[in-house]
Amino acid sequence: MTNTKETTKKPRRADILLIGGLIIALGIAALVLNLTKSSGDTVIVRVSGEQVYSFGLDEDVDMVIEGKDGGTNRLIISDGKAWLQNATCPDKLCEGMGKIDSSGESVICLPNEVVVEIHGADEDDVDTVAK
Amino acid sequence: MNRKIRFGLASLTLAFCLMLLTGCGGAADDEMPSAVKDINAMDTTMTLTAYNEDADLAQEAVDAAAAEVERLDAMLSTGNKGSEIAKLNKDGEATLSEDSAYLVKRALEIHDSTGGAFDISVYPLMVEWGFTTKEFKVPSDERIAELLQNVNADKIEFDEDTAHIKLPKNMQIDLGGIAKGYTSARIMDIFKEHGIEHGLVSLGGNVQLLGNKPNGNLWKVAIEAPEDDASDYAGVLEAADCAVITSGGYERFFEADGVRYHHIIDPSTGRPANAGLSSVSIVSEDGTLADGLSTSLYIMGEEYAVKYWQDHSDEFEIILVRDDGSVIISSGLEDVFTTERPLDVIK
Repeated sequence: MTNTKETTKKPRRADILLIGGLIIALGIAALVLNLTKSSGDTVIVRVSGEQVYSFGLDEDVDMVIEGKDGGTNRLIISDGKAWLQNATCPDKLCEGMGKIDSSGESVICLPNEVVVEIHGADEDDVDTVAK
Repeated sequence: MNRKIRFGLASLTLAFCLMLLTGCGGAADDEMPSAVKDINAMDTTMTLTAYNEDADLAQEAVDAAAAEVERLDAMLSTGNKGSEIAKLNKDGEATLSEDSAYLVKRALEIHDSTGGAFDISVYPLMVEWGFTTKEFKVPSDERIAELLQNVNADKIEFDEDTAHIKLPKNMQIDLGGIAKGYTSARIMDIFKEHGIEHGLVSLGGNVQLLGNKPNGNLWKVAIEAPEDDASDYAGVLEAADCAVITSGGYERFFEADGVRYHHIIDPSTGRPANAGLSSVSIVSEDGTLADGLSTSLYIMGEEYAVKYWQDHSDEFEIILVRDDGSVIISSGLEDVFTTERPLDVIK
C-alpha cells in the first residue's frame, strides 16, 4: 500500500508528456484562432439605394459593379481596405475618396448611384433594421 | 496522477480547444436551416425568411408567402389599372373582396380613432405632389385647397355586411398606408400554416417577427437613424412575435429651392407633416394597426402621439425620435430598448 501511494505522488514521465502535449495543443488552437479571426466588419455595396452585395472586409475582392444607367465602377477589397476605381462617370470623384477601412466610412459614386459602406461587427449583431 | 484525473484533464483541454476553434458555437440560429426570398413588390424590396428543421418546408413557406404578397399587390396597387382599388377610384363604387373590405374597415377605424390623422382619401394630394410618379412638384396653395375639399374619409359609405363601398364624387383612396402592415401579418399566418415557428420579414423596412429566434433569443431590430449624417442607429429593440413599423420623412422626399418636402402628407393641411418628430416606430402584434399608426402618430406630433398611446397602451408600444435626435419610448419597452441617445420614458 505504502509503495503505491508514493509512486502516485511522483509525476511520471507519461504525465509530463501529457501536460506538455496539452499545453502545445492549446497554444496551436489559440494561434489558429488568432490567424483566422476576421475583424467582423462587412462591406455593403448599394446601387440606387438597394443593397446588391455584401463582403467581409477580410475577403479579397476585385469586381465590376454595374450602377445606374449602365455606368460601372470597379470595387477592390484587399488587405482590410476597400476602394473604387476605373469609374465610367465623368467626375471620377469616387476614385479620389481613397481607401476605407473602418465602420461607418463610405465611398460614393453619385452619377452611378453606387455606395460602398463599411458596417461594424456590432451593427451586424442586429437581425434587421426597421425604417 | 491517476488515470481518471489524467483522462479528465485531457478531455477538458480538448473541449476547450474545440470551443476556441468554433468560436464557442453560440450562434445556434446557424444550426436551423432557413429559406430566404427577396422580392420586389409594393414599390419596395422585401426579404422573407423562415426557419425550420426541414429546409424544404421553410422554402415552401417563403414561396407561398411571396405568392400572397404578389396577389395582394395586384389587388391593392393604385398604380395597376386592373387592381380592385384602381377600379374603385375610377368607378366611384365597388363591392370589395375580403382582403380589401377588411383593409377599408380597419382604415376607417384608425381614421376615427386618430381624429382623422390617418386618411386613405389623401391619395389625390400624394399624386399632386408627385410621390406616386416620382415627378415631384410643389403644388400651389390654390391647388392644395381645391384637392383638400375631397379629402375626408368620414364621407366614405361602406357597408361591412355587403362589402359595398361608395366614394363621394372626386374622392380617390389608397390603402398603401396600411397595406404593407396587413401583408406582413398575412405572411405570419402563412408561415404558421406551414408549421414555421421562427421567421422574420422586412417589407422595405416594415418588420414583422414570428416567434423568437431559432436559438430562443429575442430578435434584435435596429431602428434606423432618421438623420442623413448619423452613423449609428436610433436604438435597438429586442422583440418577438410582433410587427415593428417605422415612418419618417427621411424615407422618401425631394428638394425644391432648398426646401425638403417628404411623403407623409398631413390630411388637414395637404402638405408634408411637420410636427416635430423625425420618426415614429410602432411595436404591436397587429401589423395592420402598427402600419396605420406609424404614419398617424408622425402627423400628430409628440404631444398627441403620447396621449394617443396612453389611451391605447394595451394595443401597442411606441418609439418616437424628435427632430433634435432625442428618443421617447413607452414604458412597455423600457427593458428591451437600448439607445445611446437622450431618452425619455413615458407612462
